[in-house]
Amino acid sequence: MTHCIPRWSSLGLLALGLTAAGLAQAQAVVGQPAPAFKVTDTGGKAVSLADFKGKHVVLEWVNPGCPYVQKHYDSGNMPATQKSARAKDVVWLAVSSTSRDAGDYKAPAELAGWLQAKGASPSATLMDDDGKVGRSYGARTTPHMYVIDPQGKLVYAGAIDSKPSSNPADIKTATNYINQALGETLAGKPVSKAVTQAYGCSVKYASGA
Amino acid sequence: MRSWFAGLLPVLRSAALLVASGPLLATGPALAQGLGPGHVPGAVVQTEQVRAELLAHAPEGLVPGKPMWLGLSIRHIPHWHTYWKNPGDSGLPTTLSWQLPAGAMAGDIAWPTPQRLPVGPLVNYGYEGDLLLPVRLTLPAGFHADTLAVRLHAEWLVCAETCIPQSGDFALNLPSQGSLAAHAARFTQALAAVPAAPPGATLSARVDGPALVFDVAGLPAAWRQQPLRLFAEQAGVIDHAAAAQVSWQGERLQIRQPLSAQRSESPATLQLVLTTPGQPVGVALAAPLGGGWPVGNTQVATATVPAATAAVAAPPAAPVDTTRSPAAGASADALGGAASPMLIVTLALAFLGGLMLNLMPCVFPVLSLKVLGLTGQGADRRHMVAGGLAYTAGVLLSFLVLAGLLLMMRAGGAELGWGFQLQSPGFVALLALLFTLIGLNLSGVFCLSGVMPDRVCNARARQPLVDHGLTGVLAVLIASPCTAPFMGAALGVALAQPPLQALSVFAALGLGMAAPYLAVSCWPGLARRLPRPGAWMEQFKMLLAFPMYATVVWLLWVLGHQVGIDGAVALLGLLVLVAFAAWVLGSRALGLRTRRGLGVVAMALLGIGLAWTWPALQSPAGGVPMPPSPTLANAAVRWQPWSPEAVSRAQAEGRPVFVDFTAAWCVTCQFNKLGALSNAGLLADLDARQVLLLRADWTRRDASITQALTALGRSGVPVYALYSPGQAQPRLLPEILTVARVREAIAAWPTSSPSP
Repeated sequence: MTHCIPRWSSLGLLALGLTAAGLAQAQAVVGQPAPAFKVTDTGGKAVSLADFKGKHVVLEWVNPGCPYVQKHYDSGNMPATQKSARAKDVVWLAVSSTSRDAGDYKAPAELAGWLQAKGASPSATLMDDDGKVGRSYGARTTPHMYVIDPQGKLVYAGAIDSKPSSNPADIKTATNYINQALGETLAGKPVSKAVTQAYGCSVKYASGA
Repeated sequence: MRSWFAGLLPVLRSAALLVASGPLLATGPALAQGLGPGHVPGAVVQTEQVRAELLAHAPEGLVPGKPMWLGLSIRHIPHWHTYWKNPGDSGLPTTLSWQLPAGAMAGDIAWPTPQRLPVGPLVNYGYEGDLLLPVRLTLPAGFHADTLAVRLHAEWLVCAETCIPQSGDFALNLPSQGSLAAHAARFTQALAAVPAAPPGATLSARVDGPALVFDVAGLPAAWRQQPLRLFAEQAGVIDHAAAAQVSWQGERLQIRQPLSAQRSESPATLQLVLTTPGQPVGVALAAPLGGGWPVGNTQVATATVPAATAAVAAPPAAPVDTTRSPAAGASADALGGAASPMLIVTLALAFLGGLMLNLMPCVFPVLSLKVLGLTGQGADRRHMVAGGLAYTAGVLLSFLVLAGLLLMMRAGGAELGWGFQLQSPGFVALLALLFTLIGLNLSGVFCLSGVMPDRVCNARARQPLVDHGLTGVLAVLIASPCTAPFMGAALGVALAQPPLQALSVFAALGLGMAAPYLAVSCWPGLARRLPRPGAWMEQFKMLLAFPMYATVVWLLWVLGHQVGIDGAVALLGLLVLVAFAAWVLGSRALGLRTRRGLGVVAMALLGIGLAWTWPALQSPAGGVPMPPSPTLANAAVRWQPWSPEAVSRAQAEGRPVFVDFTAAWCVTCQFNKLGALSNAGLLADLDARQVLLLRADWTRRDASITQALTALGRSGVPVYALYSPGQAQPRLLPEILTVARVREAIAAWPTSSPSP
C-alpha cells in the first residue's frame, strides 16, 4: 500500500498540469473545446459550463447600457431568439462581463430585472464581473455570441446577425446567425458561417483581470 | 488606462439635457430621429458628442478634371472617438451615402491614418479630436450648372466608454463658379494624413501557425530600427490587441502579428498601415497572401449531432422538420449526450434504410433474379451460405466504393450528390444496355455460355461466388437513385460526418440491403419455403425478363430527359443492334457458317452504330442551358421552375411556397407526382392558399439544386419543402407524399384572404 501515495500525487500533478494547460489557452477557437468556467448567476447560484454537457449552449454577452444590446432587446429580436432556442432545449446563458467600475454596470438583481422586463428568457444570467469568462472566450462586444455543441466544442463565434448597424429596422432583413447556427448544428450539419465579425459596444472589462 | 468615469460625464449631461426620464442611452438612436422628416438639412449636424459638418474643397472651381473634394468633418468632444474603416475589436466605421446630380460621383473615403485606442483588454482603431473624412468628387465631362446640390446621409458610432450610434443628413449647394477654398487647410491636412505606399517599398505576407508574418523592404530610412505599430485594414483577421513582434535586419523588416483566434475573414490580399512614433502619417502596404489561408480547422462537423437528426427523422411517416419542433429538439439533446450510443443508433437506422431498399422498385428485379438463382441451386446449404455471404460482400464493397467516391468528390468540392451516376447520360445508356442484355438472356435469346469464351465460362462455373458478388454490385448500382425514406437523412448525415463514420453508415446501409438475401441463404427454413426447382423455372425466368425490359424503358425515359428524343432513339437503335448481335452470336440454333457470316455483319453494324450514336449520348455542353425537361413542360403552368430567387421573392411577398425537388430517374418522385401531387382536390387547396408551386428538376446535374439540397441536409431526391408564410426555413414533408400529409401541413397556417 505504500506506493499508493506517490501514485495519487502524480495523478494530482497530472490534473494540475491539465488545468494549467486549459487556463493557458487564451482564447476560444471555433472547432476546439470551449473554455470551461464556473461563475455565479444573478441568483447567486454557481453555474459551470460542465453542468450542460450533452446540450447545446448559447453564450450571449450582454450589457443593457449598450445601444446595440438595446437594439436587439427593444425590438424583441434577442428575446425571440432566446425563446426559440430554449424551445429546442438549448441552454442560453447571458453573460455580463461589465466591470463594477463601469458606468453601465448593473448589480445582479438589477440586471435580472432588466432582462425580465424585456421579456428575455435566458436559462441563467452569469455575473462575470472580473471578466475572466469574457477574456477566455475573447468576447469583444456586446452583444457577442457563441454556440457550444453537446460535446463542449465551440461551433459558432461572432455577431447576432449579419447587419452591423444600430437600426432596428435592419433586423428584419438580416440573417440571424444564432438561429442559423443552431438550426444547422441541431440538424447535424456543420455551421456554414462558424465565425463572423461581432459588432456592438466594447465589453467594459475590469482593468487588470 | 483610461478612467471609466472620464467618458461618462458627457453622457450623463446629454441624457439630462435631451430626455429627462428614460434609460441613460436611449438618447443615442433618438438623436438621429430627432431630426424629423420635416427638417431641412443644412451643412452641420450637432450632437452632444460631435459637431459634424459637410465641407467642400475645389480650389479651381467645379470644373471636370480639376481637383474637387467633399468631406465630412467630425469634431469630437474630448475622450470620444469615431472609427476607422476597420474599427478593431468593436465599433463600426463611419459610412457616407451620397446623393448627387446625375453623372457626378463621390469616391470612397480617403481614410486618414487612424489612432490605436485601447479599451481595457481590447483595441479599437479610430479618431479623436478633429477629423475630416475626404471623398474625391468627379463631375461628368460636359458639366455646367450654376450650382451643384450635394446631399449626404452619414452614420457614425461615437464612443468613449459607452457608445452612441448617430446619423445625420447634410445638404450643400455649391456654386460652380469660382474657387471653393475656405477649408483648404483642413483638406490639405487630412489628405496628407492618408497613408500612402512609399515608393520602392515591398511587402510579402504568409501565415505561420497562429500568426501572420510580413516581410517588408524599402521603407524610408527614417523608419529603420523604430518601434512600429500595425493596423490591418481588414476587420476580422488579426488579433488587434496583440502586439506585433517587430525585428529589423538592416533595411529589412519582419513583423509577426498574431491572428485573431476567431478570424472570420480570409482576404486574398492583405492591406496594412504601419505607423511609427515620430511619423504621424502611416505608410500603406498591400500584398497577396503567399501560400493562402489554412483550411478546414474551424468548420468540423460533429459526429453525434447528425446521428440525433437521423433518429428524429427515423419514422418514415413522420415529417422531417428542419425548423425543429420542440419535441424533436428535446430528443436530439437527450440523445446527444454520449458519442458511441448515438453512432449505434445511426448505424441501426442506416441498416433499416438498407432493408427498405430491397422493396424499392428498382432493386426488386435484381432481388428476384437472386431468388431465381437460389431456387436453381437447390438446397445445398453450404453453397447457399457462401453465395449469400458473397452477395453481401458485393453489396458492402460497392457501398463502400460509392461512399469513398462520394467522399472524394465531396473533398474535391464537386457539387454532386447521391444519384449522380444517373445524371450522366453515358452511365444511363450503359445501364440500359446491360439490362437489355440481362432481359434477352432471361428471354432465352442467347445463352451466356455461347457468348463467353469457354475459359471465362468455366471460371464462372468454378467461381459462383464471384457471380454472387457481381450481382451484389449490380443491385447497389441500380438502388442508388432510390432514396428510401431513411436514405435522405442517413446520407445527409454521412455526408456531414468525418470519413470513417460516413463509411460505417454506408456499410450499415449495405448490410441492411444484403440482409434479406443473406437470411434466405443462411436460414434453411426460409429457403425451403421457396418453390421447388422444376420445369416452371424456365417460364419463371422468362417472366423475369419483363421487369428488365420495363427497367430499360424507364432508363430510356430518363435518357430522353437528359439528351432529348434523338439521343433516346439513338440508344434504342443501339439496343436493337445489340439484341441482333446477341442473337447471332449466342443462339445455338444457327449453323456455324451462318453465325460467322452474320456475326461479322452484326459486329460491324454494332461498331458503326456505337460510333454514330455515342456523341448523341453525351451530356449537353457544360454551361449551355438546356430547355426545361418535358417533366416541366407538360406539367400545367401551375408548376414553375425553381430558383432560389423565386423562393425568396415569394417569401418577400409573404406567399407560401412548395418546392418539389425531383428527377426523372427517381422512381419515388414519379410515384408522388402521379399520386399526391396529381390530386385535384389537393391542388385546389394549394391554389386556394395561393401556394407558389416550384419544381426543381435534378434529372441533369444542377449545381444550384445540389446546393439547395445540401442546405436542407439532403443529398438525394425526392425532397418536398414547404415554406410557410413568413417562415425563412422550410418544413420538409415525407418522401412518400400523401394528400393528407400535405393538407395537414397547410392546415396549420392562418387562413389567408379568400381568393377568387
